[in-house]
Amino acid sequence: MAAFCKGRYRFRKTVFGHILSRNLAGKYDYDLVVVGGGSGGLACSKEAAQLGKRVAVLDYVEPSPKGTKWGLGGTCVNVGCIPKKLMHQSALLGGAVKDAAKYGWSIPDKVSHDWTSMSSAVQNHVKSLNWGHRVQLQDKKVKYLNLKGRLMDEHTIVGTNRAGKETVLTAENIVIATGGRPKYPAHIPGAMEHGITSDDIFWMNKSPGKTLVVGASYVALECAGFLTGIGLDTTIMVRSIALRGFDQQMAGLVTAHMASHGTQFLWRCIPKKVEKLPSGALQVTWADTNSQCEEQATFDTVLWAVGRAPETRSLNLEGVGVAHNKDTGKIIVTEDEATSVEHIYAIGDIGEGRPELTPTAIKAGRLLARRLAGISSELMNYHNVPTTVFTPLEYGCVGLSEEEAERRHGKDGIEVYHAFYKPLEFTVAERDASQCYIKVVCKRDGDRRILGLHFTGPSAGEVVQGFALGFQCGATYSDLLATVGIHPTCAEELTKLHITKRSGLDATVTGC
Amino acid sequence: MPVALLNMTQYEEVKVRGYDEFCKAVSERTGKDIFAYFSGDKDAQGVSWCPDCVKAEPVVRGELAHLPEGSVFVYCQVGDRPYFIANDSLFPHNSWKDPNNEFKKVLKLSGVPTLLRYGTPQKLVEEECFKPELVRMMFTED
Repeated sequence: MAAFCKGRYRFRKTVFGHILSRNLAGKYDYDLVVVGGGSGGLACSKEAAQLGKRVAVLDYVEPSPKGTKWGLGGTCVNVGCIPKKLMHQSALLGGAVKDAAKYGWSIPDKVSHDWTSMSSAVQNHVKSLNWGHRVQLQDKKVKYLNLKGRLMDEHTIVGTNRAGKETVLTAENIVIATGGRPKYPAHIPGAMEHGITSDDIFWMNKSPGKTLVVGASYVALECAGFLTGIGLDTTIMVRSIALRGFDQQMAGLVTAHMASHGTQFLWRCIPKKVEKLPSGALQVTWADTNSQCEEQATFDTVLWAVGRAPETRSLNLEGVGVAHNKDTGKIIVTEDEATSVEHIYAIGDIGEGRPELTPTAIKAGRLLARRLAGISSELMNYHNVPTTVFTPLEYGCVGLSEEEAERRHGKDGIEVYHAFYKPLEFTVAERDASQCYIKVVCKRDGDRRILGLHFTGPSAGEVVQGFALGFQCGATYSDLLATVGIHPTCAEELTKLHITKRSGLDATVTGC
Repeated sequence: MPVALLNMTQYEEVKVRGYDEFCKAVSERTGKDIFAYFSGDKDAQGVSWCPDCVKAEPVVRGELAHLPEGSVFVYCQVGDRPYFIANDSLFPHNSWKDPNNEFKKVLKLSGVPTLLRYGTPQKLVEEECFKPELVRMMFTED
């Protein structure tokens, strides 16, 4: 049960309060003020403005401990999805260039990668997105303020600029969409002074060099993945398991692929301290729980990917009575995205129990704007959300993991169809396809409804997106079999699944 | 008492025609904040073949007072539009419709009018140039 943290002002939600706010309607500076200009905040504010509301959005980036900062657009645009996918692409292209030789191209023996060329191209694209958002806000008549927002009461926000000057804004409704920031393991000496996070890696102008990535989240795996792919000596240190919360068999395939393609793994190791040597290199000391020994090695860069914390510290949630989870720090929200304080809502990563994904934040933001404008009562559907991990071997999925399906329906209540397949493109390129795998978890009885769908392989995101539609429509195993495949593709293997885990038969796809 | 309107030139305006002249003007002003406005050529009567450019120019000129101190405003005519549609090789070198023209290939201009801040991703294209608030935003923000 989540630990609540209630503020002093919960009693304010009285009838008197209602009457007072109704009388004050029209006397607010804005109909809606959104705190946070990321995926959720921008979508919400633009939708509200389009519906004729007077809207302001406050966006402010507190520089990272290393001093990195960025423009409008939030995590996704600046230090998340966008630069990540571009750098992942950069790494994939390195692999493609090597394959090209087998396909008849004459490629020089030594193909090298220049970090600075890649990062400046990526940063230029991100900056064009910052500008694009600025133009859109201006165009849609959303007031943009580069201020750090703090709640005063359910209708008042104080915005502070970089110089410390304060501006007071009043609004009929407030939406908090401040997202999260990477955590530092503050208890590890040297962690903050010498290490960086995902906030910094994409903005580095010179190569991170030999890198240690600490963590086993998708952020850790994706970063370690592209760093390895562009030719850097990369090690990943995992305390226990990788991709916690994801299907563990699939997580194993993802990490096995990374390990056999150049990423060094330090399993069950815990960092103890980070020291800077006179040469400038970083010496990391860690405890190897397998051998019970202490180990040491030097790296040029240490990247912490040990989790993200909600950006609520300076919001004054307690002062206004916005209930939040004491452990996670996230804001408790209802299915309406409402908080414990009337007129204050929260969307995106900041909400307790919400997926930390851009598309859900955007959709929730738009639906909320429509509900606040009174033109709709549609709530955000957080079920059946597909997602993809952009590791060197991509992993896309929708629905339940096999473990979760077993928990809910029992091992005897599910049927798992699976196949190891080989992408056609891998044949000539002589690429290892050992971890290319598909798994569809179905209910064993009735129409064998699909409970979860999992795919590792090239362009996993593109493949799973289409199947997510089927999933949303309640597709069954029979629907899958009734679907004709497109040949030759990897995706068609889903329509041909027939070996069950239960049978114990070899699941390797043979021939056409 | 009447107030005299002073022409406060806090920016430099440079008029160029064609890609080579544009490059020369920019290379002579390295380190400066350069705003470039690209328009279709004007005829002898001073009217451009590009109707959007005709519409946008007064809007852009109306906001020039907001240019940052010490910046440069380059007014660049990009070329003429041929009056026939034919194959690439028949297009004169400085024709706007020629897909090989350097404005499109090197500066990545997709159309005229375009207002951009040189060396940054900040740009306003076509109808965006009709909006004074957008022009002012580009001139006044970082």
